[in-house]
Amino acid sequence: MTSMNPNPNRLEDVLKQALRREEAPDNFAARVLTQAAQNSRARETRRESWLGVFSQPLVRWAAFAAVSICLIAEGVHYRNQQRERAQGEAAKQQLMLALRIAGSKLHLAKEKVNEINTSRPESQPESRTPRSQS
Amino acid sequence: MAALPTADRTPDTAGTGFADIVRRYQSMVFSIARHFLGDPSAAEELAQDVFLQLHSSLKDLKSDEHVKFWLRKVTGHRCIDHRRRRRPPQVSLDETPEPSAPQNSADPLLARRLRQYVASLPEKPRLVVILRYQEDMLPEDIAEILAMPVATVKSHLQRSLAILREKVTRTMGEVTI
Repeated sequence: MTSMNPNPNRLEDVLKQALRREEAPDNFAARVLTQAAQNSRARETRRESWLGVFSQPLVRWAAFAAVSICLIAEGVHYRNQQRERAQGEAAKQQLMLALRIAGSKLHLAKEKVNEINTSRPESQPESRTPRSQS
Repeated sequence: MAALPTADRTPDTAGTGFADIVRRYQSMVFSIARHFLGDPSAAEELAQDVFLQLHSSLKDLKSDEHVKFWLRKVTGHRCIDHRRRRRPPQVSLDETPEPSAPQNSADPLLARRLRQYVASLPEKPRLVVILRYQEDMLPEDIAEILAMPVATVKSHLQRSLAILREKVTRTMGEVTI
């Protein structure tokens, strides 16, 4: 065993020695570069194979048809929405008109009632008095 | 150590740039993994994965300093993940694989023992010790890499040093450190 002088930094010094960087294994860099190149090629191939699907006429037509169907469906949906909105607006206008007419009729009726009420108080006391006497 | 990227540096992201980066930092990445995992083949595999991840992230890294920071950070996190995923059964220190001792170590036996004791520390303190004494990083920089408060890093260091000192004194009684 080894003896050493007591030193507060001794452990840290020995740790630095013990944990010094080690050389990577032989050909480590070459292996990493080869693997990276393979990964890049694989990524490229995947991207190409994905885009390559569209080089077949049948797939191109199918994609075109799918896109067309989507566009048509979206157009129909939009027109339906527009129509429903227009119908809603018309119904709202009709309702407003009906409310206005009803309001004016009510106003008329109220005026009539007021008229009747204002004419009644003069005749009522006279008609009641004879009946109570008899 | 200024770990954040500096704007005045030229990005080193070309094809040959990647090869240069691998050659420049292979020893750093491999050694962090080696000292953390204690297993050379696992360390090599992990280091290779780190560089392959770097290859696909290289376009986002702005400078050499940024690359170095990124490599230390990713290597550290991958080491912890690796250990958690493949947590081995508890083994005694004598069963721990021994890293090869550097040729010019002052005391090969003591250094070897210390590497074993470092490998037996809990994950985060172990990584803190490795970054501090292998990479000679300041606690502030370690805190940034490991996303933990500086006080925690300092506390890990103090406690780890106390544990290591106690273990060395206990097993190698004649050595005073």
